Amino acid sequence: MTAERIMDWSGHRWLAFGARLYLAVIFGMAAAYKILHPGSFALDVATYGILPLSLINGFALVVPWVEAVVGVMLLAGFRVRAAALLVSGMMVMFMVALAVALAQGLDMSCGCFASAETGDADPIGWTTMVRDTAWLALAVYVLLADRRPLGLDGLWSARRKT
Amino acid sequence: MAGKDTILTTLRDAVLVVVVSAALALTVNGVREEGIELVASRAYEVFVPCPEPLGEVTPVAPDDPLIGAARTVLVDARGEEEYGQWHHTGSLHIGFDYLEPVPMESVKKLAGSGAAAVVVYGDGDDPDSGREMARELAGRGLRNVYYVEGGAGALKK
Repeated sequence: MTAERIMDWSGHRWLAFGARLYLAVIFGMAAAYKILHPGSFALDVATYGILPLSLINGFALVVPWVEAVVGVMLLAGFRVRAAALLVSGMMVMFMVALAVALAQGLDMSCGCFASAETGDADPIGWTTMVRDTAWLALAVYVLLADRRPLGLDGLWSARRKT
Repeated sequence: MAGKDTILTTLRDAVLVVVVSAALALTVNGVREEGIELVASRAYEVFVPCPEPLGEVTPVAPDDPLIGAARTVLVDARGEEEYGQWHHTGSLHIGFDYLEPVPMESVKKLAGSGAAAVVVYGDGDDPDSGREMARELAGRGLRNVYYVEGGAGALKK
């Protein structure tokens, strides 16, 4: 009952909208670098030492496009919950990889927005983990609280009602 | 909860997004000049510096009485050539290599020497090989490790 009351608060509509746009920008930026430099991103993925060699390139090719498509969906307000679910899943995946690397004491580029190979190192650290946790929390919030205030989903349901 | 979307619909949409994204990724990679192989044929040459444990060390002045004390082991961390040209009387040579850990036998030798303090001097540059070696020795469990400020050059004076 209390949870329902909390979720009924009208302010979620705009808070979730802001979070949605923020995540769209973040994922758009992250995808741009990786799509432009697939080889560098593949090297970053390999550096984590988690995936077998046969999966590294496929992962490095597909994940940035998922990020890009999800970014566009969040921006356009299209299938927002599916996009937020994918963002949450990707954040969990990135955080597991990051935790493994940090536990091993690796001093390496995160590969999140730039690469050690391209000269714009983005080193991993516990601050990266805190940042990713915050983004995961935002994604879960959008997943639970998005009320389609602006976007294609909202337009579509308004048209269906009329 | 907002909307009429069911969990199944959301999951279905998410799977569709992954499929469409994968198709886009493979198509774009196939047509672009700098595309990469779908399956890497050679292992990536990954270089990640191995983290050496580093400890806290205390600097000592070149005229500090600790340097000449009876129960102090004085270590010269410079290269063999520099050590041959000049070294402090009674110093032990253990050349420091930034890319390799200090050999275990050297660490054991220092640990088993019964010395009350280990004082390292290096080239006195920035970074100073003496300070770096001292930090590594301290990180590997040696106690009372010091380094000479200014290195061999300061000691000579």
